[in-house]
Amino acid sequence: MDMSSHPLLSSIDEAPPFPPNHPQLRRLDRSVVCQICKEPFQAPVSIGCGHSFCSSCIRSSLDVLKKCPSCNEPASEGQIRRNRALEEITDSWEESRPIIYDLAKPPPQPQITKKRPAQELNPKAASSSGTKRLKPNSSRETSGSRSQSPTKSRRSNDSDHDEVQNGEVEDEEDDVQELTENDEAPCPICQSTLPISSIPLHIEKGCPPPKSKLNGNGNRKGNQKADWKKVFSGQSIGAKNKDKEVEMKRITKPNYALATPADLRSILSDYSLPTTGDKVTLISRVQEWIILFNSNLDTSHPSSLSALRAKLSDMENSKKRDKERGKDEMINQLGSKDGLQKYAKDKRSEFERLRKEIIERDRKRKEQEEGKGGGKDNAIEVE
Amino acid sequence: MSGLSTKRLMKELADIKSKGTPEGIILLSADSMDEWVFLISVLGDETIYKGETFALRMKFGNRYPIDVPEVTFLANGQYQPPMHPHVYSNGHICASILGNEWSPVLNAVAICITMQSMLASNKKKERPEGNDRYVRSAPSNPKLTRWHYDDDVSTGTKSSCHPPMTRI
Repeated sequence: MDMSSHPLLSSIDEAPPFPPNHPQLRRLDRSVVCQICKEPFQAPVSIGCGHSFCSSCIRSSLDVLKKCPSCNEPASEGQIRRNRALEEITDSWEESRPIIYDLAKPPPQPQITKKRPAQELNPKAASSSGTKRLKPNSSRETSGSRSQSPTKSRRSNDSDHDEVQNGEVEDEEDDVQELTENDEAPCPICQSTLPISSIPLHIEKGCPPPKSKLNGNGNRKGNQKADWKKVFSGQSIGAKNKDKEVEMKRITKPNYALATPADLRSILSDYSLPTTGDKVTLISRVQEWIILFNSNLDTSHPSSLSALRAKLSDMENSKKRDKERGKDEMINQLGSKDGLQKYAKDKRSEFERLRKEIIERDRKRKEQEEGKGGGKDNAIEVE
Repeated sequence: MSGLSTKRLMKELADIKSKGTPEGIILLSADSMDEWVFLISVLGDETIYKGETFALRMKFGNRYPIDVPEVTFLANGQYQPPMHPHVYSNGHICASILGNEWSPVLNAVAICITMQSMLASNKKKERPEGNDRYVRSAPSNPKLTRWHYDDDVSTGTKSSCHPPMTRI
């Protein structure tokens, strides 16, 4: 079959593969792809054997078969662990792929003319190394550390030498002055990002790694304060947090064989999902939702609950459409002569059963009518 | 078809387009994302199927690749299923890769390769035991049949295939 003009392929929007003269890049490209959906990992997780998949892919797969799809080793949902490093790698690779793709392209013939537009598009890359280094840090610098910062002095040297960049530097200086003690800056020794006010103490202590990035400084204090307030006002932290945690806690799978439709409906209503349909519909809705919801907890950029709900209803609708299409096929089949014969052959036993039922019913009716004395005149002849 | 299966099949199709199929395997039709047909022939002089071509039909459900596609050899005026101890005369195939050994990391071409190697390793043209009985009562979808597999790890297919128990 001619693949060059396949109608189904016209709609595919796929990043082009790396040219064959870069096998390493092709390999790298393949390595951030989930082997189940063949897409870049989304919410990657690892299982016991060490293989990694998208959270939703492996959850769906383990629902069917409790084995690793790649190596067949027994696996279970309990083994699923978030793979944060892989997520970071996948995200950053996706981000840098277009850049590297451009770099990997064979150099065009007129080199200079081609290079220029690229530079204009990316002014950062085009500016001198001095500014380039500074820029990411500039917003974090403070009035306090500015005078001591080694980068600062280098920058002033740069600007002295390179007058063209003076304007830019001036702008930066304005930005810098707006920063306060609560802003963060890289430690001049270990480069880890810290609140400016804590840098001297941090250096004094010999640069211990910053505690936790998630509980950022200011926030933590605020939370602590609020938590204590709750304690003193008689509210338990647990109760207060529960509201939030009920929403964001992994859902435990019900035992579908034992669960009643009411059980399933109550799970669905907990997450404001539709509770219509028979038990089969409810089970598949709960199953899909648990996969969507639980895998959404395995990523650092989760979707909103309403987005998940929309996804679920999309999935249900597309399934419904498939079923309807099946009906259309049946109608088409019955339209043709061969199809009709085949249908008649397939359903013969059912026809036979219905025919017997009708005969039986008519016989009974005849008997009744005879009992009434209706006579044989209007008896129905049945063969 | 739901998003996942369509996307995945598109990728496979694009892959076949760019890299082609292995020798002896041709994609005959893929007019929709529901049903593809491959032509399979066994290469080399050793094979008992020399010069024969078989048509393998795959029907993909909306839970592909989590669920295995429905795979049969076509049995019509133009194509006949191969004479093989795991292939019934109605085209149904007894192969564990199409049952309990399916894995979502596999794809359509992998199924074709397995079928090709299953044919290549066969030395005797015969139908499975109980072929007539099975064909008489078989459901139209082979996935509804409960197959009994005997282990043959090397090919992913089975060295001998019991007459299956059918479920209606």
